[in-house]
Amino acid sequence: MTVGLEGYLAISAILFCLGLFGVITRKNAIMVLMGLELILNSANINFVAFAKFGGMNIDGHIAAIFVIILAAAEAAVALAIVLNIFQNYKHVNIDEVDSLKE
Amino acid sequence: MEILDAVFYLFALMIVGSASVVVFSKNIMYSAFALLFTLFGVAGLYVLLNADFLAVTQIMIYIGGILILIIFGVMMTNKIRGVDIKTGVSGKVQVYSAGAAVLVLGITMISIFNNTEWLIKDAPALDATIKPIGRLLLTDYLIAFEAASVLLLAAIIGAAMIARRKKA
Amino acid sequence: MIEQFLTELQKSLSLFKPESALVITFLMTLAGDLIFRKSEKLTANITLIGFVVTGFFLFNECNDGSTTIFSGMLAVDSFAKFFKIIILLSSIIVVIMSLFSKELFDGKRPMGEYYMLITSATFGMFLLSSATNMIMIYLSIEIMSISSYILAGYTKEINRASEASLKYVIFGAVSSGLMIYGISLLFGMTGSLNLLEINQVLATGDLNIVTLTFSMILIMAGIGYKISAVPFHFWTPDVYEGAPVTITAYLSVASKAAGFAVLIRFLRLGFTNLETAPESETWAMISNLDWQFIIAVLSVLTMTVGNLVALWQTNAKRMLAYSSIAHAGYILMAVAVMNDIGTAAVMIYFFVYMIMNLGAFFAVMLISNEIDSDEIEDYTGFGYRSPVLGIALVIFLISLTGLPPTAGFIGKYFVFGAVIDSGLIWLAVVGILNSVVSLYYYMKIVRNMFVRGVELEQKDVHFSPGAIMVLVALAIPTLVFGIYFQQIVEWAKNSVQMFVSN
Repeated sequence: MTVGLEGYLAISAILFCLGLFGVITRKNAIMVLMGLELILNSANINFVAFAKFGGMNIDGHIAAIFVIILAAAEAAVALAIVLNIFQNYKHVNIDEVDSLKE
Repeated sequence: MEILDAVFYLFALMIVGSASVVVFSKNIMYSAFALLFTLFGVAGLYVLLNADFLAVTQIMIYIGGILILIIFGVMMTNKIRGVDIKTGVSGKVQVYSAGAAVLVLGITMISIFNNTEWLIKDAPALDATIKPIGRLLLTDYLIAFEAASVLLLAAIIGAAMIARRKKA
Repeated sequence: MIEQFLTELQKSLSLFKPESALVITFLMTLAGDLIFRKSEKLTANITLIGFVVTGFFLFNECNDGSTTIFSGMLAVDSFAKFFKIIILLSSIIVVIMSLFSKELFDGKRPMGEYYMLITSATFGMFLLSSATNMIMIYLSIEIMSISSYILAGYTKEINRASEASLKYVIFGAVSSGLMIYGISLLFGMTGSLNLLEINQVLATGDLNIVTLTFSMILIMAGIGYKISAVPFHFWTPDVYEGAPVTITAYLSVASKAAGFAVLIRFLRLGFTNLETAPESETWAMISNLDWQFIIAVLSVLTMTVGNLVALWQTNAKRMLAYSSIAHAGYILMAVAVMNDIGTAAVMIYFFVYMIMNLGAFFAVMLISNEIDSDEIEDYTGFGYRSPVLGIALVIFLISLTGLPPTAGFIGKYFVFGAVIDSGLIWLAVVGILNSVVSLYYYMKIVRNMFVRGVELEQKDVHFSPGAIMVLVALAIPTLVFGIYFQQIVEWAKNSVQMFVSN
């Protein structure tokens, strides 16, 4: 196989930037969460790629597993909060939720 | 070109293409389904990187759990009968400037990464990763493993409490 | 091999008693809440007893020597112990405060989950203040954050609270996402997640400085979010204003303490020469990153933005939110000194800040129980309606400004002393100018309470004896530690020792 570490890092960098773009530009809270999942996945690609090319360092795999666990917990909590916002406001657009401005 | 390279490029194309749909699509349902392909593509990369256990975990937890949660969230917060499963984006100027900034960031990141001396060692042959992962989780990372269980319990309790409807 | 692991595990568990006690408290609260659903104060009592037991184990932890437990994941040292005591004390005070809160008990809200989540957040903070592994740092930040996301929106049918928790969770999740990306880059360069091993690789000095800087920016986004340092502070005012006031107090003290503990440990263990340095000497840096300058700039930005924006606030909770950003700036100033004296100053400041800030929030909560408003305008003449509360609040505000003879002065004195000692005169000047600015907005509350509204005929307000007792119990130390501070200073100076060798 000729594709080396750089190939994986490039994919992860692109995924990170796409996720960041989604987080910055989207108003819908669920869309922001999807952008966040892209960022977390890009970090995981990094961990696994470094684990393989750094001499099958299993620490990287463990890190990726913890990221997945935390992503699940975070998604559950965030969606519960979004549902609650929806019950209160009837929409989930972050920048229209702004009663807290001076 | 070897066959594995072809597979890599296939997955790479799948990830970048579907991730772009996630981010650029106006229809939130399309975004959610495109996320499915992104996550699947990432699982494919894990297989290429000899991370068999992680690939399965990715499919089971990310696709089977988180993505389903997100799709539930989409459906519960949009008027399902109406056509307006559209998501607003910020103003045009903001989008373009954010896009330009992120593009610059991406190019810089790739060029930085290409010029960095990462730690590279020869990998010993490994049949499956599940055994060392299990061993590490219950020895070196035991406390992290246990703390994660506290975290999940707190998250379940909290999420249930927040999402619960008030008793009428 | 397995025998060896088991003996080490036993040793680790014996040094892990405070945290174990917290987990047991968490489960007991859960069980108590499920079995006795009707009883109102039961869960609070279980939590308080659990915290006291935790404190007992914490105090009895042997002081001498420092070590790591659980295969180098956590450090047990006097540095962590100091921060754990601060976190535990503020958790106890917050639980007691919650008993007097009107907004939390409105509409017979079930309170079991509230205390459970405070316990789990405290558990996360305990882990965070002793974590020596990047995965452990990330994990414990998440334990504390996820619990506090929900706590911020606990009064969920109030729009402001649900908005606060939405903003908190969205920005928090993104910042921790950035942080884990930074950690992955660090892992790629060093091949390790353990701070001590990372230190060894950094010491060889042939890492790409650009990539290292990039990964540090991302990691600082995660830590900076927790201590609400500018430019990662934008969530703070909204969340602090919208969340229940007890949680605001909790976030502004305990969560920040844990954040600072991990920041200092991360810098010390990751980036400095681990030979024990003389007390007053700056730790020798082992990478090309000029951390002193970076932290100093962050500190100037944080305190200036915090203080200047606080000037315009009309809402007391929001004003205290900006003031807590400003205080994070003062503390960062002492972090920038990067030696043992600076670290001791951080600890002294935190101890003092805990008492006075919790006190100020408690007073604001009592007032809002009474008049249903946090607007400073509505405080007019309140000093005459309840003199005890008025005087106590004045003491807290003077202390927050940093004037003698209060504890706040002592905190500021040691921070500025450490900064001047290390030759960062410009930083000290900026800090002093900022303190002067802060006088204006703190005194605005005092003026509204005492100077204006004398002519208004308003009926007196009487608080429950319990509330007055707690208030006085916070006000007296604020004064006493302004005069008899030697003990705290000694304690902090003895506690700067961190686990450093392998």
